[in-house]
Amino acid sequence: MLGPWCSPTGSPAPLSCETGCREGSWILVCRLLVPTQVSLLSMEEDIDTRKINNSFLRDHSYATEADIISTVEFNHTGELLATGDKGGRVVIFQREQESKNQVHRRGEYNVYSTFQSHEPEFDYLKSLEIEEKINKIRWLPQQNAAYFLLSTNDKTVKLWKVSERDKRPEGYNLKDEEGRLRDPATITTLRVPVLRPMDLMVEATPRRVFANAHTYHINSISVNSDYETYMSADDLRINLWNFEITNQSFNIVDIKPANMEELTEVITAAEFHPHHCNTFVYSSSKGTIRLCDMRASALCDRHTKFFEEPEDPSNRSFFSEIISSISDVKFSHSGRYIMTRDYLTVKVWDLNMENRPIETYQVHDYLRSKLCSLYENDCIFDKFECVWNGSDSVIMTGSYNNFFRMFDRNTKRDVTLEASRENSKPRAILKPRKVCVGGKRRKDEISVDSLDFSKKILHTAWHPSENIIAVAATNNLYIFQDKVN
Amino acid sequence: MEFKLEAHRIVSISLGKIYNSRVQRGGIKLHKNLLVSLVLRSARQVYLSDPCPGLYLAGHPGTPAPPQQLGEPAAGPPAGWGEPPPPAARSAWPEPEPQPERPTVPEALRTGDAETAAAVTGTGDALQGGEGVAAEAAWRRVEGQRETAAGGAGGPAGGSDVFPEGPRAARRPCGCPPGDEDTLSAAPRMDCCRTPRPAGDQPPATPPVCPRKRGAAGVGGGPAGCPAPGSTPLKKPRRNLEEQSGGAAAAAAEEEEEMETGNVANLISIFGSSFSGLLRKSPGGGREEAEGEESGPEATEPGQICCDKPVLRDINPWSTAIVAF
Repeated sequence: MLGPWCSPTGSPAPLSCETGCREGSWILVCRLLVPTQVSLLSMEEDIDTRKINNSFLRDHSYATEADIISTVEFNHTGELLATGDKGGRVVIFQREQESKNQVHRRGEYNVYSTFQSHEPEFDYLKSLEIEEKINKIRWLPQQNAAYFLLSTNDKTVKLWKVSERDKRPEGYNLKDEEGRLRDPATITTLRVPVLRPMDLMVEATPRRVFANAHTYHINSISVNSDYETYMSADDLRINLWNFEITNQSFNIVDIKPANMEELTEVITAAEFHPHHCNTFVYSSSKGTIRLCDMRASALCDRHTKFFEEPEDPSNRSFFSEIISSISDVKFSHSGRYIMTRDYLTVKVWDLNMENRPIETYQVHDYLRSKLCSLYENDCIFDKFECVWNGSDSVIMTGSYNNFFRMFDRNTKRDVTLEASRENSKPRAILKPRKVCVGGKRRKDEISVDSLDFSKKILHTAWHPSENIIAVAATNNLYIFQDKVN
Repeated sequence: MEFKLEAHRIVSISLGKIYNSRVQRGGIKLHKNLLVSLVLRSARQVYLSDPCPGLYLAGHPGTPAPPQQLGEPAAGPPAGWGEPPPPAARSAWPEPEPQPERPTVPEALRTGDAETAAAVTGTGDALQGGEGVAAEAAWRRVEGQRETAAGGAGGPAGGSDVFPEGPRAARRPCGCPPGDEDTLSAAPRMDCCRTPRPAGDQPPATPPVCPRKRGAAGVGGGPAGCPAPGSTPLKKPRRNLEEQSGGAAAAAAEEEEEMETGNVANLISIFGSSFSGLLRKSPGGGREEAEGEESGPEATEPGQICCDKPVLRDINPWSTAIVAF
């Protein structure tokens, strides 16, 4: 059913999630700009009917801040890919359907829907401006023809319904075709309105708004496996919501100290277990992860499990605490492991072992000696995310200079790739990159000092079942897929 | 010695971030401010524990020009911002030296200094857009705790888990081999941590003459009075702020320099609405006193206040840093 999706020769490729880290195996599918005008790179060597591409291939060397992508998420089938940006917009891409004529167009994503999810707000009571930046998007599993997703900014979570309309009713009795009311006196016959086909229209409507439940900034949302509830986490509290009820939520974690002077850590990320609807984890700024069971008590302040790795005293510095702060936590698809990202490493933990991670991967250890400078330019506060592939065999996270890294847990191999405009030729094969940490620099290597710290890959996503990844680089969205020979 | 300078610089930067967070869109971010306060705490520990008493005595520079909103006239920039960075620090991102046995922080020290020179104009804006809290209210609070904190023991309740680390951090901020506090003499430590510092470093004990010194006051006086080479790379973005702070404010701040446990009301009246969002609860100076004041942060639930406390108790009353912002 899945046609050949990466090889130009057309031979079907086995669907496998096993790859990932072979050199030379990732190719660029498309690069999507998410600005006010969306442009697509043509993937075809020959001229294609999508001629709009050429005219839109401007060099966006500058990006308005509102276009910076702030979250990326595939839906549960991988058919849709949602991005949120700093301007409060959500753009949903849909995977190109396979067609016999253009076999290698499959795998491309095109704009499906765009809508403004959040607007800037001003809290008059606190004299606070509330940013419209979309912090997280989470999809709900599809239960009917419409798609549902949750999007959140710092304070408010919204449930959006994205649906297609390809028919419209015609032949009303009381209204004419333009919608104006007809004079009843002119109606002499009655007819039954019929549905006639129309151009496909995708519309997004906000179905629920979950507001006023968070004093601090929301950093995570997570849909429960029961598909009836979800949680939202801010710096100090986690609330449990029912999708149907917007005017109240249950507080299930509260780490706010009675005396704020005693505050030593904040919640940085939270996620429900993929299968057990009573279990969730949350990470802290101190580098710890707590697993909680909602059956134990209504308020899960006491954890069921506590994951912490003892600090290596030889690495102590002014910035030890900052770099140990966990920026993202993700359950594996199996539910057996959790992965955490702190500033320099990615760690995989077994839920059954609390005293240390089972795997630690260095993302960019060469930055360890640059922490002071990174502190000055605020880069040390960057919150990188991490993702699992569909089979939990490969993990991926971002770095600077538009680099992103993949680690194969089985073969222990890793690769550094770059999402850059220079490599944006269609079907271009990504060349592995290497950072030179000292001594002699080889030809293809980049020295640490040449890294561009303004180009950071904070948000990535991996297709739930295929080797397709989405990488957000500032205002560009790159989609790569693994070319299996 | 180098520790002190580096620590001083880090404190200055941290205070800048905290101050600038006030004007950042979206309100003050609790997480980032907490992290910055932890860095402040570590840096202060280092600063206070570094045995260089001369620094404390060297030229008490006098008036700190207090942090001002960007529109207001300045009393004059503090010392500490008047000197160009040492020549060796000019190059950005120097190649890391192949010294695997060297602790990491000294590397960071050197590259940090170098980096600031290069990145400062960029980071200046970043710092502007950074995060912060009322700096002087902050260091008011810390003033009161300096005695307890200096010993590295206890301090504000709840901070105990960090404070024990503080002295350890003070001893080995650069990852030097752990040594007994008593046995760790100045020489070996300076050895292992001095290397990154260029030879051109000027001793902080002799504050160079600088026309813009007037507004500065140092904690313990010394390093603020002498332009820490590490801190000067930030002078460009800071100068704008300095030039804008008010003379009246400077005079008032000078008063406060004398007072160990400050009178916040004074500051409040001077800065007025700059801090209304942060100190709305008790402008009468209740904040700097009440260690265990709960009504303040609790009642003023808003996110912008909630981060004050952990930050405030760590802010070192170093006027140079405050002046700069």
